[in-house]
Order: sequence, then C-alpha cells, then structure tokens
Amino acid sequence: MAYGDNKHFEHLKLPVTWAVMAIVVGVCIFAALMLLGDRREEVEPNTYGDRSAFDSAAKPVNGALAAPVHVVGAGTSWLDDYLFAASENRTLKKQVAELRQYRDAYFVLKDVNERYEKLLNLRTEPAVEAVTARSVSVTRGPFNNNRLIDAGASRKITFGNPVITDQGLVGRIVGVSPNVSRVLMVTDVTSHVPIMVMRTDARAMMKGDGGCCPKLEFIRGKNVIKKGDQILTSGDGGIFPRGLPVGEADQGVDGVWRVRLYADRAPIDFVKVLLFKDFSRLPDADQLLKTPPVSDLLPPPVLPTVNPAAAASASASASAVVSSAAPAPAAAASSSSAAARPAPPRPKPQPRPATSASASSSSSPELRPFTPAPAPASPQPSTPTGGAN
Amino acid sequence: MKAPLDRGLFRQRPKKTITRNLRGAIASRVIGPWEWLFMPALVAIAVTVVLATPIRIFGLHLPEPVMPLVLAFVWPLVRPSYLAPLVLAALGLFLDVYWSAPFGFYTLTLMIVYGVLVTVRSYVAGQDWRVVFGIYVATEIVFFGMGVTLIALDTGSIVRLIGVFEQLIATTLLFPVVPYMLDKYVHADVRFG
Repeated sequence: MAYGDNKHFEHLKLPVTWAVMAIVVGVCIFAALMLLGDRREEVEPNTYGDRSAFDSAAKPVNGALAAPVHVVGAGTSWLDDYLFAASENRTLKKQVAELRQYRDAYFVLKDVNERYEKLLNLRTEPAVEAVTARSVSVTRGPFNNNRLIDAGASRKITFGNPVITDQGLVGRIVGVSPNVSRVLMVTDVTSHVPIMVMRTDARAMMKGDGGCCPKLEFIRGKNVIKKGDQILTSGDGGIFPRGLPVGEADQGVDGVWRVRLYADRAPIDFVKVLLFKDFSRLPDADQLLKTPPVSDLLPPPVLPTVNPAAAASASASASAVVSSAAPAPAAAASSSSAAARPAPPRPKPQPRPATSASASSSSSPELRPFTPAPAPASPQPSTPTGGAN
Repeated sequence: MKAPLDRGLFRQRPKKTITRNLRGAIASRVIGPWEWLFMPALVAIAVTVVLATPIRIFGLHLPEPVMPLVLAFVWPLVRPSYLAPLVLAALGLFLDVYWSAPFGFYTLTLMIVYGVLVTVRSYVAGQDWRVVFGIYVATEIVFFGMGVTLIALDTGSIVRLIGVFEQLIATTLLFPVVPYMLDKYVHADVRFG
C-alpha cells in the first residue's frame, strides 16, 4: 500500500446539520457585533462613510436595471394624463382663477414687506445656492427611508444639506460620494426635524416612524395646532434653514398629531439640494474640548488698589485725610470724599492668581498683569470704594 | 365523447408522478450550487434593485418585498448546505448597505430565520402547500417582529406597524416562488455545496 492510500478517515463525516448550525451561529455573532457597533441613529457624517463606495457602484447598476421600469412608468403616466386630461383641465382652470387673486395680493404684500425690511433695517437671510439632482433609487420600507440622488461632492454637496422638491421638504444629505449622495428622508425612523406651526409660531419636533406621515412630538403650548395648519421648518438647531414648507398638520385616529407631507403630493423625481451651511456643525467638538480655559486667555481681573490702613483710618476719623502710604491720587480723592459720609461697604479683596503677582514682579516686569493706567487728574473716583459724588 | 369542460384551460392534464426508482434517479439532472444558490441570489438582488426605482404607476409606489426572505425560507427546506448561510449573509449585507439599514440588521434577521428552519426542516419539507404557506406567514411574522424589536433597541422608537404590515403583505405575495423552487429542487439531485 502506497503512502497516502490509507483511507481510515473516509467514513468520518461531519454531521451536516450541526456544521451548518455552527456556521449560522458564527454569522449571527458577526452580524450582532456589527449591529452593536453601528451608529446610524446618530446621523453623523462618519456613520455613512463606509457606504459611499457601494453607493457609487449602485448608481450605474440601478440605472441599467431600472431603465425598463422607467419606460413602463412613463407609459402609464402618459396613459394617466390622456385618460384624465378633461377633468384635470377643469380642475386646473379653477385653481388658476383662485390663484390669480393670491398673485395680486402677493405682489402688494411683497412690496410692503420690502419697505418694512428697509425701514427696520432687518438682516434678512441670504439666498441659498442650490443644486438640482435626480433620484436614482428609493427605499420606502418601515425600517429605513432614504434615497440615492445622482449628484455628490463634485457639485459641492456636503453632509447635512437639506433636500427639497418643488412641493416641500424631502430630507437631508447623510452620505456623500463624488457623484452620488444618500438622502435621509424625513419619514425615516432616525429623522428629527425641528418645525414650527405657521399660524401660531409654536415649535415642535417632527419625528419619522417609517410611515408616510411623520408625527409631531414636544409641541410647545396648549391648543396651538389644529388640523390643516401649515408646518414649516423652524431653523432651530441650524440644520435646516427657517421657513421651508413641510406639510399640513393632521391628527391620527390615535390622537397623535402628524404631518401630511407636501413632498408626497407628486412623485419625487427631481430634487433640489440646498447648499446650506449647517451652523450647528461649524464648531468642532474635539477642538472645543482642547481649547484652554477662558482664565488663561483673558487678562486677570482688575483689582481695586485699596490700602487697608488708609481705609481704616478714614472710617475712624475724618481728620486723618493724608496718608503717606496712598500710592495713587485716586485713593486720596476717594478717602476725602468718603470723609463726609458714612463709608460704603468695602469690597473684599479679590483673590489674585498666585503666579501673576509674585512671578511677574520679581522675574520679568514686562509680564505683569494688565492694569489700566491710573488717571491722575480725574475727578471721578476710579475705584469702587470711592462711591458717588 | 369529450366532457364539456375537458378543453382549453379546463383540460385535465395527467398527474405528474415522481419516479423514485433507479431509472428516475439516473435520469434526474444534477443541480449544482450555481443553479440553486447563486442564480436565485442574483435574481433576488436584481428584483430588489428594480423595485427600488423611484416611480409611481397610476399613483402607487412599487412594492418593496424582502426578496431574500424567500430564499432564507426555501434553501433550508431543499437541503442543509454550507454555502447557503454564507450566500444568505452576503444577501443580508447587501440589503443593509443598499437599503441603508444598520450594519448587520438584515444579516442577523435572515440568519435567524435560516437557522430555525434548518432545525425544523424535517417537519416542514413535504407538507401540503397550505401548511407550507402557514409556516411561511409565521416565518414572516417572526422576521418582521425581530426587525421591529431591533430597530426599537437601536433607535429607541417603534416604527409604524402599518408600514410593517404593508411590507409583510408584499413579501407574502412572493409565496408562489416557494412551491416553484421546492418542486424544482427538493426532489432533484442537489449536490453538496
């Protein structure tokens, strides 16, 4: 028998079900660790960073596979328009007649508003630059609501930029790659948008729950909202600019206030990305923590130059005015004025940093703490002990 | 004389019988992992991508079923396999990234479904399609229940259950794929993979 022909283990077989279960358990542990390490709910730039390469690759694949679906969608849209053209025409004529009145009122009010702004010297918000993009794919499930759009960092899109349609707010950018961006829709379970009710100016937080109508939480005030109220972004927190149209308030059967989104009125095909600077992200948290304390940056507090001996003698007798130890004329002036009336409560001497006085006076005079130059001929007392004339 | 309904769609076709004798076994086609694992996985990816197209047809969104859940149900019933859980894990990871779910979310839920069905496969395989349908719906309920629980633990809020129900219905509509794949692969010579 040649070497290697011994087949003692040929009948040794691993029980398949047990081995498969071992693989399943291993993959489950791996997936659970990934899930524990995921920080998607924090909506931070680095949480979506790992997915940008996949998003870039998904765009052309999606475009190729979805081409027939786009053809079918265009066909049904044409058929829909053809079948309902007459009724739509009647509706549009009615709407145009109504909107003409609003248009005239708009021009008048716009003119009045501009005059008020000039009169009051209001600092209006600057116009926000925008980028138009097309929606490539959409995820509408209960656990995640987001979109891919075909514009990215090459068109100056950054994390946090708000995304709108001609109808209203859609969401904001949470992942950016050179030519593709991922939009977190306001209906996603991790989305929180600070809003205000236009009629009452009441503030609330709009929170997505995976459904079509996000719910309103933390509504400030009582009876500040009713069905049909227009909901706008409040701009609180600096993530969204103020005044973007969001939707209309509606109350569900469970009594929870929700928002019927304007963006759902029409298919979200083309979107506009506002290149709005999220000022809440401007300060870097790490840099803020590294900054030295304020006491190191500011000059030490100005201390009152009080001579305890002179002050004690002034309070004891009015005749003892002159004090040879008084260093400044201001002190003399203060003591002379204090002689005529009861002495005001003397401020307690402020603790001076230990390093400033001794070190600066002994070793390097140019490093002495900042003190204002004494005003020799000033009639006003320069110290708080002087009181008012 | 022919029966009045014995024509067209109502023609009674001869019943298919599965030949389990030696001749039938020899004549059966050998099915490798490419055919019963990788091809369905690619089809599932393609269907997921196509259904993510942002269009409305007659005012309605396209449905969004969890296509890999069908494979997580069928594969353990066909046979236990070393490759199947790995391919399923890759599909779960694809859903995590493509749908932008938390990393590991779909991987974990699909794996748990697969593991449970591997354990109980001897009770499910070979049952009537009504029984299989009931078990399929129960599997969906467990799957989406785990999803709701994990999202609640992850984000601290409960997702809208009507949306979960809609996705469950969309996934239930894929059930005809299950008997099709079972008929195709259960009695075939599915090779070890």
